Amino acid sequence: MVVNILTRAIMMSTPLLLGALAEVYAERTGMMVCAIEGIFLMGAWGGFVGTYLSGSMLLGIVLAVVLGGLMALLYAFVTVTLGQQQVVTGTALNILAVGICAYFQRVLFGVPTTPLQIDTLPKLAIPLLSKIPFVGEIFFHQNILTYLAYILIPVSIFVLYKTSLGLTLRSTGENPVAVDVAGINVNRVRFLTVLVAGGISGLAGAFYTVGYLGMFTSNVIGGRGWIAFAICFLGNWSPKGAVLGTLAFGLADAISVYFRIGTGAFPTELIIALPYILTILLTIFRSNFKVPAQLGIPYSKES
Amino acid sequence: MTAPAVELQHITKCFAKVVANKDVSLTVNNGEVVALLGENGAGKSTIMKILYGLYGLDEGKIFVRGEEVQIKTPADAMAKGIAMIQQHFSLVPTHTAAENIILGNVRGYIPIKNYEQKLKKIALEHGFDVPMDRPVGELAVGQQQKIEILKALYINTSILIMDEPTAVLTPQESESLMQFIKEFAAKGNSVVFITHKMKEVMEVADRIVVMRNGVVVAEKRRQETTEQELARLMIGQELTPAVRDASRDTTAGEGVLQFENVSLQPKKGTALLNDIDFTIHAGEIFGIAGVSGNGQDELCDIISGVRQPTSGRVLLAGKDISKESIRARNAFGIGYVPVDRYRDAMIKDMNLAENILLKGVFDKKWFNRGFIRHKKLNAYTNELIERHRVKANDYNDLAGSLSGGNQQKIVLGREVDIGSRLLVFNQPTRGLDMGAVDRIHHVIMEEKDNGKAVLLVSTELSEIFEMCDRIAVMHNGRFMGIYRNGELTTEQIGLLMAGIHFDGEEAAAL
Repeated sequence: MVVNILTRAIMMSTPLLLGALAEVYAERTGMMVCAIEGIFLMGAWGGFVGTYLSGSMLLGIVLAVVLGGLMALLYAFVTVTLGQQQVVTGTALNILAVGICAYFQRVLFGVPTTPLQIDTLPKLAIPLLSKIPFVGEIFFHQNILTYLAYILIPVSIFVLYKTSLGLTLRSTGENPVAVDVAGINVNRVRFLTVLVAGGISGLAGAFYTVGYLGMFTSNVIGGRGWIAFAICFLGNWSPKGAVLGTLAFGLADAISVYFRIGTGAFPTELIIALPYILTILLTIFRSNFKVPAQLGIPYSKES
Repeated sequence: MTAPAVELQHITKCFAKVVANKDVSLTVNNGEVVALLGENGAGKSTIMKILYGLYGLDEGKIFVRGEEVQIKTPADAMAKGIAMIQQHFSLVPTHTAAENIILGNVRGYIPIKNYEQKLKKIALEHGFDVPMDRPVGELAVGQQQKIEILKALYINTSILIMDEPTAVLTPQESESLMQFIKEFAAKGNSVVFITHKMKEVMEVADRIVVMRNGVVVAEKRRQETTEQELARLMIGQELTPAVRDASRDTTAGEGVLQFENVSLQPKKGTALLNDIDFTIHAGEIFGIAGVSGNGQDELCDIISGVRQPTSGRVLLAGKDISKESIRARNAFGIGYVPVDRYRDAMIKDMNLAENILLKGVFDKKWFNRGFIRHKKLNAYTNELIERHRVKANDYNDLAGSLSGGNQQKIVLGREVDIGSRLLVFNQPTRGLDMGAVDRIHHVIMEEKDNGKAVLLVSTELSEIFEMCDRIAVMHNGRFMGIYRNGELTTEQIGLLMAGIHFDGEEAAAL
């Protein structure tokens, strides 16, 4: 049972980690991607529709990334190019995403009597590694997206702290004037980072349909985009913090799912609420936040 | 003859409605230090930001080493060997010196240790000793400036622009900066430095370009000019300093503000104010000299009612106001110009009329059954603008769109009218240009002559000596003594400010 729960925890951590890393990149440049819940949803829907209509999971995933990117494009256009409020824009886009998905789902499929199903990504056992007792079962019997998330962790750390790109990203969120004066276009950095974050978040969304459920409902994300958003804060805007945060939430998610299916000894409502309660508690008890100094503040030169 | 390092021809630049630079032409030669002199808002920074590609230009041409160039971004400028150090440093405080210096000038993987060593070497070549591996936010301002200079040196700058480089430095740090500028120019490089301080100009500049209201009004070689002439050119008129009538005994008037053994003792630590006892009379300017942070702000806060003393009484015209609210004190006629107007005296994003109303929300004259009497308020604001010669279109200008000096004049105008009995000024001229300082001094002097009691806190001794009738020197929350203006020499006051009592005749505490 423990192995089961932990395996499930790793699985449930995957999209949260992708989303949280995307958010870390963006927020390090000063851009909160408040549309992340909506981008998750678009990704989930894109993954489902693409796979259902084409029969190819790869095309489904590609569509998810594209739709996530398009949402991010719209978000970046309004917040970076037009310099509008990020929270307001993000909230609007989150509502828009719900509408778009519900509308096109209905247009394409009507109201089916039984839920439409797609195949889900197969579990791939990594040769040798998966044979390690306990650890192999938990970490190396996962789908391709989880392995991708594994790779993204060291890559993110390296890029953010050891390369010129990372230096630029980190500087942009702290003091865009310094970046501007150094001859780098601040708004281009922000725009492109938001686009990339959107693509990754779209991929994260696809995990819920293509990687796990095999079907789409309008509440498939159910606030998990916001949890990724919160993990970025709780993890102090660092990839390592994001990993720890996602593991905690993945575990809570897994436990809640496990107990819901299992015995009725526990009040299921409480368990479903666990990740959300955890978010609130961690936010309250986390004392020193290293918030990027210019987080959420638009940059314009001649003012 | 070689081409000049930089030549700007007929540059014009507008922001929305305001013309920031109009037909500005200026030349910087190789190996030359040019001072760009002017009041705040004269367009000095704007013209240099255009040269550095931070602002676009509306009209005009730029030549670098005889070649016409298009400078659209700072990257273009840096490629031509131009670097600019902003007035407010553009450093990332949480990053190390090395990270700040290489930002924008590296590609791919960063072996940070190698860079730190390399930069350390460059720094030492110029006699700069700065730690490369500590967050720059932890370093002193002088060190931060050295990092800014190193940023320029790292990209092999030959034309260095510095915007108000000494504004935040101690005298010693300024001295070493001036030394650097001389050495840097001696190697054939060019330096433009923007300032409004006459002393520096006369010390390092080869040539001085004076700007006023967005245009170049004069160009002088240093040998051909004097500080007085430059001041006149910069301000555009002769200043007549406010003159104090030293013959009158100002303690004869009735006592307006009285502190009786006032102390402010926080729960932990040393007392912020210790047994402060004085009286300010009607028609008197009472000065408090001292290094900032020695209790002056707390003293002002106690008068305005922001803080309560832990012991002692504050009396206004004989009435104990220690327990009165801020609102009641305003109604008694206390005007207060705090040290940080952005934090405590105005709201940048509101217009001037609204800023005037900020302190008048309990004053019935601005309201008619709860509705704001806009006509009356706007007319009054316009009248203030005129009376205090504020450079603003009308009441509807945003406070943030005005220069610092003009913002201060608005705050001052408001407080002078509210403070019918007592005016408290906490460093009212800090960071302002000469024209505004002059105007503010005149207003303070007028109010004194109108019979108001005035408290003037200042860290500038020249201001204290020029304005005050009596002077208290403050150190560590204590008065070191109260003296008539004229009793103290600059050295004696300096000793008192450092907390040292001097021997000899002890002036009678008045």
